[in-house]
Amino acid sequence: MFLRDFFDKNKADFSKGGRFEKLSSTFEAFESFAFTPNTVTGGRVGSCYRGCHLRDAVDLKRTIIMVVIALMPALLFGMWNIGHQTALSYGLDWGFWHQFWFGFLRMLPIIVVSYVVGLAIEFLFAEIRHEEVSEGFIGTGLIISMIVPVTVPLWQLALAVAFAVVIGKEVFGGSGYNFLNPALVARAFLFFSYPSHMSGDSVWVATPFHFSGDIVTGATPLGQLMAGQSLSASPLDMFLGTIAGSTCETSVVAILLGALLLLVTGIASWRIMLSVVIGGGAMGLLFNAIGANEYMDMPFYYHYLMGGFAFGCVFMATDPVTAAQTNTGKWIYGFLIGAFAVLLRVLNPAYPEGMMLAILLMNCFAPLIDHCVVAANRNRRKKRWLAAERRTI
Amino acid sequence: MKNSTLYNIVHNSKTIKIRKGLDIPIPGTAERHVTLLRPDGYTYAVKPTDYVGVAPRLLVAEGDNVLAGSPLFEDKNNPGVPFVSPVSGTVKAIMRGEKRTLLAVVVEPNEGMQKSRCFDPVDPSDSDKDTIAKTLVESGLWNLLRQRPFGIVPRPGSCPKAVFISGFDSSPLPVDYDFILKNDFTLRKSHEDFQWGINVLARFAPVHLSLNGKTQRDSFLASVANADIHFFEGPHPAGLVGTQIAHIDPINKGETLWTVNAQDVAIIGRLFRTGNYNPERIVAFCGPDVDKPEYYSLISGADLPTIVLKNGSGKQRIICCDVLSGVSINGGFLSASCDKVCYIPEGDYYDFMGWLRPNFRKFSFSRTFISGFFKNSKLGAKMQYDTGRHGSQRPLFVTGEFEKLVPLDIYPMQLIKACIVGDIDLMEELGIYEVEPEDLALCEFADTSKTEIQAIVRNALEKIRKES
Repeated sequence: MFLRDFFDKNKADFSKGGRFEKLSSTFEAFESFAFTPNTVTGGRVGSCYRGCHLRDAVDLKRTIIMVVIALMPALLFGMWNIGHQTALSYGLDWGFWHQFWFGFLRMLPIIVVSYVVGLAIEFLFAEIRHEEVSEGFIGTGLIISMIVPVTVPLWQLALAVAFAVVIGKEVFGGSGYNFLNPALVARAFLFFSYPSHMSGDSVWVATPFHFSGDIVTGATPLGQLMAGQSLSASPLDMFLGTIAGSTCETSVVAILLGALLLLVTGIASWRIMLSVVIGGGAMGLLFNAIGANEYMDMPFYYHYLMGGFAFGCVFMATDPVTAAQTNTGKWIYGFLIGAFAVLLRVLNPAYPEGMMLAILLMNCFAPLIDHCVVAANRNRRKKRWLAAERRTI
Repeated sequence: MKNSTLYNIVHNSKTIKIRKGLDIPIPGTAERHVTLLRPDGYTYAVKPTDYVGVAPRLLVAEGDNVLAGSPLFEDKNNPGVPFVSPVSGTVKAIMRGEKRTLLAVVVEPNEGMQKSRCFDPVDPSDSDKDTIAKTLVESGLWNLLRQRPFGIVPRPGSCPKAVFISGFDSSPLPVDYDFILKNDFTLRKSHEDFQWGINVLARFAPVHLSLNGKTQRDSFLASVANADIHFFEGPHPAGLVGTQIAHIDPINKGETLWTVNAQDVAIIGRLFRTGNYNPERIVAFCGPDVDKPEYYSLISGADLPTIVLKNGSGKQRIICCDVLSGVSINGGFLSASCDKVCYIPEGDYYDFMGWLRPNFRKFSFSRTFISGFFKNSKLGAKMQYDTGRHGSQRPLFVTGEFEKLVPLDIYPMQLIKACIVGDIDLMEELGIYEVEPEDLALCEFADTSKTEIQAIVRNALEKIRKES
């Protein structure tokens, strides 16, 4: 096979002592992208090895690609919706494919910038550390591009991605060692550094190409609620996602399709997803019971349909590295994310959306939650030791 | 004897159901047929590397004549416990590795009848513990005992809280102990030997024998006297002694207990019943590419008999014991306490876009492969099993995998991380004393990050053992 020959021929140059030794991680990344490596358990064929001789077919690349596939419905819908919102706002008579094509062209640079900047830094760090390039950013990079407004300036996005990868991940040791969800770190960076580009009414609708008139604004449901206005979108619109919002967060249907894949393949924790929903619902019902203002009176399930709740619940709260790791911990972690997200939405006067902050907050507490859960097991064991000691005395 | 109403106890005893775990349906399980191998056609080796933490001191030189049961070397850390020759003959070679570490003492058997060291037959029911222990130590059979925690050979004179024996195999390519221990065609009376072995061990501590609740209720093993019989049901690792201990009487800090392989119990019993040292055992040779997977009667430590592989089978890895935790012995000698030898094809091939294709033939615990949905069906046996690692090593990334595979009251992920960090107090409190590497072998199998979990656990246990 041509590709295999190519890698075999050039492998020596990129190995230790070769001409391009400094690019060995890069070479390895491309090679293992094309071919699952031929490594056997125990290192090499014929070695004396004690351990597990068989290995599961799954690896991290497989896991991450499942997340990417699960993101596809939301991504494709988001592309169409960009065109749809623009056509709607500017009164343009675009057909389905025209709307999709427009959205595709607006989305493409965002995705490209996110991947190029992020992967460049990942490769650089891998080369410096003489490690293999981790595939974690394949998912993260796409998620970042899906949760920003379509009008985000690309240089700001580039900065945010760089910040997220370096400060959010690499300083802790790279993928698998970070404690904050890198995609949300990027979003938070943009949110706090460039608030005027990240919220308000003017950022959600893309302007048509070669347009020179007044920019049309499109309010998101959360923005309207924050401003004390009544909702202009129906629950069905919000469920389908034909509303203004971050590029690919709006459609609950598309996100649910992704959730289905993640749950069927077992990649994402159903415990976290379910408990986020329960937590959000519980807090929503509590506000319904208080009913101090119109926002509190809003039916609790509206929270599931608005903003980034569904997207965060399915794709970001479930990130295994930054979530709680014990099963009991996952219930607590998810419940608090849902509850805090709604709490922040309704009571915080500064930010319309609470999901991002709720997840980041619980990312910080996840290790503590796990510590408490595991402590119960440790104490149980110590009690058993004591009881056994007493029996022998 | 406390088991006089044994029949009632066994048939009323509750089954312990194991829910977590995974059966890997590798095809090629051994058929119930035994081929007898003559001892003089092979050479034999005793390997210190089969035991944990043994620092060998040689007691023989090349060319020495030995009997079956003659000491070959002993452990400097556990002096007075000899490792003995399995056959009578001449010491043919002393194999050394890096820094002159002793790898194996190889013995070439003499032609004709085997001559073995004889001991006075000791009836365990009317001898005291010390006499029995002395016979075990002198005959080299003491080395068949394993102490938990740490998986070492116990010190002579030590006394455990209990002795645990697993009477069934749930690992991939399982062997049938009912068949092995009842096979009388070599006139060894294994099932009588087994009872004698139990009687011997029962002099030290209560013996717990665990059986398969689905298939062994009417087995002769269920009517063994002098032991508490427990029934387990469920997927692998239900047959691992570590799982059984955790559900019967979990080990506490400061306690020790013994585990013995079921066939080794019979070998111990044989010495006491006949007075002869005779480490003959029945070993299954199995695997997907083995032409006629079946049992062979041979002597511990033999070099491999020629096994016929199917036409077109490629390079094979030969694994002593369980494929999930055994040792590869390409071209070498069988390990101690080996009940099966598994032939698994080597998986050193590149897989184009292996991470993307749906794939119907690769076995996966996860459901990220189409085949993952059929792992428990008959299709499981049609999948391709090989030694490929199927991916690159990464930091521990995915959570919740291990918890589905470990039926113990421990948090595997947290324990493994504590082992990596080397925090002894934390490891203790997370239950390191309750596991041997094999108990976490399924985690190593399923791990998305391809971590060498068993090596990590072994190193951690050794660290604790050396510091205490």
